[in-house]
Amino acid sequence: MRIGAAEAPPILFVPPLFEEMNRTRALIASAMRRLAARGFAGWLPDLGGTGESATALGDLSWDDWRHDVSAASGLVAEHSAAPLVVALRGGCLIDDAASAIGWWRLAPVEGASLTRDMARAGLAGVEWAGYAPSAALRERLAEARPAPPAPLRTVQLASGAGTADARITGPALWRRSEPGNSQELAEGMAADIAAWYATCAAR
Amino acid sequence: MATAPDDAGEVEITLRSVLADVLGLDPARVARFDATTPLFGALPEFDSMAVAGLLTELEERLGVLIEDHEVDADMMETFGALLSFARAKALQ
Repeated sequence: MRIGAAEAPPILFVPPLFEEMNRTRALIASAMRRLAARGFAGWLPDLGGTGESATALGDLSWDDWRHDVSAASGLVAEHSAAPLVVALRGGCLIDDAASAIGWWRLAPVEGASLTRDMARAGLAGVEWAGYAPSAALRERLAEARPAPPAPLRTVQLASGAGTADARITGPALWRRSEPGNSQELAEGMAADIAAWYATCAAR
Repeated sequence: MATAPDDAGEVEITLRSVLADVLGLDPARVARFDATTPLFGALPEFDSMAVAGLLTELEERLGVLIEDHEVDADMMETFGALLSFARAKALQ
């Protein structure tokens, strides 16, 4: 999905993984629209096994997702230019697979935290939102940590934990059981992303 | 906050913030919760799926690890019970 002109300065989104992607889909779309209003083009790939993709999640490997991210950045570059990559939550575990002018991350998380979440949801008798990732995928996830690409800007919510280059105000939508949105958070993201793009593009 | 809370008052502020965030509740409403306010089983937003998110978010913001065996329905029954649990974990 793309919002904005094909040849506009591109921003490639790498969304959260699994159920957190559903919970943040509206937020990401709002941020993309706000960036389009600022003259950018927001690109959002469908990772295999999620969204509109037909591949069953159990068949996927971690490397497939990384390949999808890499291919997406190549596709964007063909249309306009190498993108700025914007990754949220578990997306920060695979965003380094892209070729980019820079990286912007919101609330990066270690894979082990996500697997703990999955186990918790399972204990509560709740399937992880209908996803049944293979044992191999969960193993890779449990070991995964965000890589240090450069240049990198890490942003956290004002209410959250973790070191950050900046904090923005808004709710941890990825934590809620129902999908939601926050225009305040989308605006905070868009403004900071736009500024970081300018910094990276000037290098 | 950038670092885990280190006093009882901060833990309470953190817990209220987490409840508002995870359950999608108006912060003004959460500000009115007191020790006897019923939570799990009483609030429709506080269901099994919300429990998982709540515990993980508490872990992140309090800088603690919550083991499965530490979790039961009693500790989530009221705001007071959950606050006691959170304080005990965070201020060890």
